[in-house]
Amino acid sequence: MNLDWSIVWDHRSELLHGAMLTVLLTVLTMAVAVPAGIVLALMRLSNSKPLAFASQCFVEFFRNLPLILVVYWAFYVMPVFLHIEFSAFTTGLVALCLNVSAYNAETFRAGINSIRKGQTEAAMSVGMSRWQAMRTVVVPQAWRRVLPVLASTWVSLFKDTSLVSVIAVGELAHVALQIRSSSFRVLEMLTAMAVIYWLMGYPQAKLVDWVQKKFEVKE
Amino acid sequence: MSSPTPARKGADQPPVVVYDNVRKLYGDFVALDGVTVQVNKGEVMCLIGPSGSGKSTLLRCTNALETLSGGRVLIDGVPLPADERDARKVRQKMGMVFQNFELFPHKSALDNVAIGPVTVLGMSEATARERAMVLLEKVGLAAKAHNFPSGLSGGQQQRVAIARALAMEPEVMLFDEPTSALDPETIGEVLNVMKRLADEGMTMVVVTHEMSFARRVANWVVVFDHGKVVEQGPPEQIFDAPHAERTRDFLSHLGWNG
Repeated sequence: MNLDWSIVWDHRSELLHGAMLTVLLTVLTMAVAVPAGIVLALMRLSNSKPLAFASQCFVEFFRNLPLILVVYWAFYVMPVFLHIEFSAFTTGLVALCLNVSAYNAETFRAGINSIRKGQTEAAMSVGMSRWQAMRTVVVPQAWRRVLPVLASTWVSLFKDTSLVSVIAVGELAHVALQIRSSSFRVLEMLTAMAVIYWLMGYPQAKLVDWVQKKFEVKE
Repeated sequence: MSSPTPARKGADQPPVVVYDNVRKLYGDFVALDGVTVQVNKGEVMCLIGPSGSGKSTLLRCTNALETLSGGRVLIDGVPLPADERDARKVRQKMGMVFQNFELFPHKSALDNVAIGPVTVLGMSEATARERAMVLLEKVGLAAKAHNFPSGLSGGQQQRVAIARALAMEPEVMLFDEPTSALDPETIGEVLNVMKRLADEGMTMVVVTHEMSFARRVANWVVVFDHGKVVEQGPPEQIFDAPHAERTRDFLSHLGWNG
């Protein structure tokens, strides 16, 4: 078998560009999905039945669909039914945000619920409103428990961004697979892709380990 | 039925909290079954009785952490408002101390005390911290002001919790079994702080299993059983010459013999 690794080097700028898009997708998705998850969790925990129900529907819908299906759906169905048409990049971003927001909502909800009711009562006994108790007492404590889970979600998301390659978003997976099809250098490109993803993912995973250790809840 | 009942010490003082035929149901379970008692200004009222007899429930009804199923609670003559916003105003007049302290673990002792005035009254952090320091001195913990709750003993945490409640300058302090979660050797320091508060004239309602504290500090003792008041009176009556059979039973189970 003759291998030609120069193909990887020759396409370094496209691969670099793809890798940057992968990072950009991850960062943008989290930037949207963290606040969205908080809002969804607070809706779910609010006293308003319609708000709680709406949040629950959203979460159960997107949490239980394969991400790749949501990506296809956003690309093919959303323009037809909702008359919304975005670029492939934005469409992919929307699909990722829908999925990760649903996960984050559950993460935040679990984090908030894990704080004893007595903490809210203690806050209310000094005269705080429910909202003030949530803001100054519950959420800051929940945050510590939530952060390690968010860190894991981050690493999954980083890898899952590769799924938007199916709608031709030029991130790392798409770029690498394109080069593979035009050059027929299957083995080289798939290996290169694996190495690049691993080299980028490993430090993040280590960072997650560190976060989990640092924010470990001791009681 | 035996010796004449001694007079109530706070009888000439205006009532601060009046419980008027208070009922509380949890589904079918009757937690409070028509409780009528009152606390007058400057009095220390101790609620005693077996676990699950409704003492803590009554305390939680006082500052509207629980809603009533029937009857009324009057604070300074005004019924507890049903509206949450108004209830909050009334709650500010009452300090509460919990069995499990419930200090905020992400805040230092000083900030635990300062957080109420800052969040609720909009006081500046600098002023609130200055006042918090004075209160921590009062409970003997100025040196621990910058410790977090995890770095304090149970007794110290409970004293910080008392300071936190005092920071809102309450008219009445509610204590829900304040020493039940403590190691025996730290119970004394908390009871001493409470005794000093009582001596300063603070109106207090205390749910407790510390009979010697009730005997020594209370002006009025209320004995609960099955959601009802079995007997109430000055400590001399309750502990030395109880009228009710149930009171005698309860005290003898605790090994109390005067």
